[in-house]
Amino acid sequence: MPRTSLSVDERWKLIDSISKQVVLRGKYKHTLKDVISDLSVRPMTGIPLALAVLFGFWAFFGAFAGFFTDGFAVPAFDDHFLPAIQRAFPGEGGPLYWIFVGDPGAPSCFEAFGVLTSGLFVAFGVVLPAIVAFYLVLTILEDTGYLPRLAVLVDTVFHKIGLHGFAIVPTILSLGCNVPAVAASRVLETKKQRFMMMSLLAVFIPCGAQIGVMEELLPEYVPAILAFLFFGYFVTGAVLSRLIPGRSPEILIDVPPYRSPIMKNVATKTWARVSGFIKMAVPAVLGGIVVVNLLYLLGVIDWLADALEPIFVVWFGVPAVTVGALVMAFLRKDMAVGMLGGMAAAGLLTTGELITSVVLVSIYFPCLATFIMLWKEGGVRDLLKSLAILTVSFFVFGGLMHGIVALAGV
Amino acid sequence: MKKIFLAGNPNVGKSVLFNRLSGARATVSNYPGTTVDFTKSRMRIAGKEYEIVDLPGAFSLEPKDKAEEVARDMLKKEKPDAVVSVIDATAVERGLYLTLELIEKGYPIVVALNMSDVARDRKIKIDVRKLEEILGVPVVETVATTGSGLKELVSRIEEAKPVDVGAIKQRAGR
Repeated sequence: MPRTSLSVDERWKLIDSISKQVVLRGKYKHTLKDVISDLSVRPMTGIPLALAVLFGFWAFFGAFAGFFTDGFAVPAFDDHFLPAIQRAFPGEGGPLYWIFVGDPGAPSCFEAFGVLTSGLFVAFGVVLPAIVAFYLVLTILEDTGYLPRLAVLVDTVFHKIGLHGFAIVPTILSLGCNVPAVAASRVLETKKQRFMMMSLLAVFIPCGAQIGVMEELLPEYVPAILAFLFFGYFVTGAVLSRLIPGRSPEILIDVPPYRSPIMKNVATKTWARVSGFIKMAVPAVLGGIVVVNLLYLLGVIDWLADALEPIFVVWFGVPAVTVGALVMAFLRKDMAVGMLGGMAAAGLLTTGELITSVVLVSIYFPCLATFIMLWKEGGVRDLLKSLAILTVSFFVFGGLMHGIVALAGV
Repeated sequence: MKKIFLAGNPNVGKSVLFNRLSGARATVSNYPGTTVDFTKSRMRIAGKEYEIVDLPGAFSLEPKDKAEEVARDMLKKEKPDAVVSVIDATAVERGLYLTLELIEKGYPIVVALNMSDVARDRKIKIDVRKLEEILGVPVVETVATTGSGLKELVSRIEEAKPVDVGAIKQRAGR
């Protein structure tokens, strides 16, 4: 068959003539959906609406997760499960006991740090409700079509850091889990933008699992910690945008019409994400505790803590015991924050030190799954560059947080 | 096994169609760029097994972002036996752009005019027979979210064939 190729111009001319013959556009009346649509992208009405939506998101997240965690999981685990397993597990004080149950005298599951105690409690008692709440709301936001409108609204801000409004979509996805968010960076146009996006997400955006644990430990400080991380995100973005060569072109954001979410899709999608969490994250949480406990038993973590003590104490203002949590953060950040909570409950950390170390865990190395995703998407070179950005940010923003905590006198 | 690809602009409902056809559970959202990688599954038509691939959305075969690159590379690498070009019935023109590119590259095409319910609500009338006559490939109106038109689409996938864009030009009177 002879194959003809058209130029871009010829193609549009042909489309024009086809469309004139087949498409008939009647008079279109604006509907309520169009009115809401207009209001949600106009700054005067859109910004208050966006704040209301995000606040509602946050309030629901806190209320839902708190209801299940504080109402059911904490009493069930701390009052019944923990004492029972501490009594029943054989060989108190032996290595297996330490790995699976943890501290035989621990009064709460945050402090025990065993696979069956802290592991199950953090994974199912704290993180699971948080993940369910987060994805339920995220799915509804996704399916109504609100996200691209938010993108239009924040476009100007993101242009200042060399990205464009659509960067809000991977950023919000990242607040659930960094892994799919890194993949979602593919929709950005240039290599520069994609690299910046992936690095900023991996360094500054804490995942839903981690936020869930933070919300349980330091509810009154979580908004401030998130605000600080977003501050780091924008400052670092502005710096990177000037340092990295490459283009940051304007793009048009395609805004689909508002649609009512189909309940079946909301249910399937939330379930797919939650079951993904159970299959991928729970083994990492439990396995991570085994690894970290083995490192404790072998003395590796104490050795690291001694070696790094000067940096931690002087620069970050946190005691060297937090090194254990940073090792855990390689595998799972939620459990790492859980460990810090245990240390605080045991009196090893003050509130100020807990806040700084939570920020350190957030900025510090992406978890293993994100690390692999960064590698897959950007290759070794970009991964190394991201890690360089991460190291600098870790020291700059960790030190800055130390200063803020000291000044605020927390 | 024969391969069927779903191609089209971002946010036209390819993944919904994919899930409907294969029973798979690709992630579906109401924003462009939900699918950034291809998803594969299987479907049966009249007792025959097909492989069905959901591609990331693309405006053109000349990629502007990495998701579009994935779509183009998959089309190039694996030779599909049929490409379902999914067009948003409320934005036929830009859907036709990709469709024409696919036709020029010689892929056997079936057109799914998706979201035809929304088009109807917006008083957009599309002369499906005329479009089919001009393009020379099957054109089927669908509503992937409800499943309407999917039976016809499936039954006409076998009719997908390569056509010459020169002939389309003639039929369009240009």
